[in-house]
Amino acid sequence: MGIDVGKFLKNPEYEIKITTYRDIFQVEAQECDRFGKDYEKLSACIVMSKNDMAKMGLKPGDRVKVTNNNGSIVVEVRESKRDEPGGVAFMVNSPWSNVLVSEESGGRGIPEFKNITAKISLVKEETTTLESLMEYFRKLQ
Amino acid sequence: MATCPGCALLCDDIEVIVENNRIKETKNACRRGAARIKGCINRLEPKIAQKPSDIESAVRKAAEILGNAKSPMLFGWSNSTCEAQVKGIQLAKKLGAIIDDTSSFCQGLLIEKLLQKKFRTCTLEEVRNKADVLVYWGSDAQDSEPRHLSRFSYFPRGESRQRGYEEDRIAIAIDVRESNTAKICKGHFYRIQPKGDREFILALIDALSGKVPAYEPKKILELASILKKAEYGVIFAGIGLTYSIKDDFDILVALADKIPNFHIMPMVGHYNMRGFNENLFKETGFVNRVKFDGKVVHDNRYSIVEALREKSIDALLVAGSDPLSSLPRSLVRHLASIRVICIDPCVTMTSKIATVTIPCAVSGVESGGTAVRMDGKIIELSKIIESDYPTDEELLSRLMGAL
Amino acid sequence: MEIYQLLPKTNCKICGESTCMAFAVALLGRKKNISECTPILEGDFKKQKEKLEALLLPSAGAEETGMIVHPEICTGCGNCVVACPVDVANDPKGAAIGCAPTNDKVIFRVVDGKVVASNIKECRRFGKNRVLCYACIDPCPTGAIEFV
Repeated sequence: MGIDVGKFLKNPEYEIKITTYRDIFQVEAQECDRFGKDYEKLSACIVMSKNDMAKMGLKPGDRVKVTNNNGSIVVEVRESKRDEPGGVAFMVNSPWSNVLVSEESGGRGIPEFKNITAKISLVKEETTTLESLMEYFRKLQ
Repeated sequence: MATCPGCALLCDDIEVIVENNRIKETKNACRRGAARIKGCINRLEPKIAQKPSDIESAVRKAAEILGNAKSPMLFGWSNSTCEAQVKGIQLAKKLGAIIDDTSSFCQGLLIEKLLQKKFRTCTLEEVRNKADVLVYWGSDAQDSEPRHLSRFSYFPRGESRQRGYEEDRIAIAIDVRESNTAKICKGHFYRIQPKGDREFILALIDALSGKVPAYEPKKILELASILKKAEYGVIFAGIGLTYSIKDDFDILVALADKIPNFHIMPMVGHYNMRGFNENLFKETGFVNRVKFDGKVVHDNRYSIVEALREKSIDALLVAGSDPLSSLPRSLVRHLASIRVICIDPCVTMTSKIATVTIPCAVSGVESGGTAVRMDGKIIELSKIIESDYPTDEELLSRLMGAL
Repeated sequence: MEIYQLLPKTNCKICGESTCMAFAVALLGRKKNISECTPILEGDFKKQKEKLEALLLPSAGAEETGMIVHPEICTGCGNCVVACPVDVANDPKGAAIGCAPTNDKVIFRVVDGKVVASNIKECRRFGKNRVLCYACIDPCPTGAIEFV
């Protein structure tokens, strides 16, 4: 064919399920400086299984846009150290993951922090900074 | 020896080396605890409308906002001493305000059932001395309560568990993710799907009732036989489990009824969340989501989440918490349109949009007091270093005085 | 190799070795000291120097036991402190029952939220009657302790 069709298309989008968790190194960074680089680095990432990464053509260190009805963020891809079967990706509990959590709670007061559905695609943009998350709130004021 | 306010284990065997009123080194505290004790680099400053002020004026402004509000709410509390929590409850009473804490979207549901004595529970000392089967369910203690396994549950030798983990104890993990805790539970890790806890519990109840479970029968029967043989078992219920079965909580109680040698312990992250639940329960019979409206009214509408979603509050006092960081953005954007008062030792995302910020001492480091460990034991906090900052308890007293 | 990666890699020969690689080998074998690499003592390499020290410090008896501690990935949970059979035997009223160590005879202690190993000669992998013990490795969720 000679024409690389992929060049003209948007990077493919995949559906993904995300559950949140806690990571002691991120908590440590938050205790020390929640506006610091370490906290940002340890929060603005998504941990995926090898299987899922291969399926979606992602490499560790790639940046992905994760989007749903609640919002959109750009985070870095990390490969799970464990032998995960895939189908679920993991994000630490943080202002980043909270962009994707719905305010709906069925009137029971507990949002679905651990059961998030979103679309994920490879992007070139830099990861979302805490400053830009803060900016979102400042603009509302 | 000092007590660590890093998490609800409240480890009281911490050595701290202090030089010139600065913390130089901690011994025995985990990574999370050491970070808490060493403190943050960005201390909060008193501000009104984001302009520098002084504590006295900030307290007066806070009193004015709360006093004039039609529907004020007081929220946070899981990083406050019991003494400050009791003051907070008094303040809510005086204001006719709503009071809620972080347990509202964390372990409140489970702690409420526990205080209502809906299931058996036990102390961490009992776990150390007696427990032989430990089930970490939706809980990654290794990352959230890092010394749970080493101080109390799996690794130590106890009175009836002299041979420790090698022969006397079995640790089991049930989780969506192969967490650090699951890694230690190696041969006994049961992976479930998100929201799969209910199905897993029902299958387990079937297996314990002598039926063949519909779901992964081989693994479930194997687990059921371990649970049945337990002399003293404990289910450490994490928020993974609580979130997943929040709409049908009684199935956990039903499971506990099937295994009479088992106890349920809620895994609590923040150091004094259980303290707030117990203090409010003593006062009102509820653990959170209360409005003082001449009488005590308890309703889901008085949870921080529903109150923000329905935009039913017009002023919010936040004590030792950062809702802007820990709640869904779609929800906390409503905070931008109401008046927020922040009492905290450190700058937080919430403090950056707050109308009034009031700095306080780091409880358990710069001031003492008491707190309630995750199993209900009352633990004395330590004052490790001197500080000029007032305690949150003192600030709440001053606020009440200024009303 | 890990040690070499942290060196300036300029082959400046100040330390007396012909290459940085040779210096790395000498460091591992305890024939040289980090301070002999003067360029790394200067500001720019501060982080690398700290990492190097962390890498080399715990192996103060490592020639025989081969124990290496990686403090940067340690969570300070203390599982190793309590699980180590030497700690259990030497501190029955402290480490053995999950409490803070009560004496200096233990191998593992947690300082500033990270594990520090001392008394390495007490390790069961050391000496005449050595055994291949895994008691500190298996309970570690992050792989912060290894034997080489």
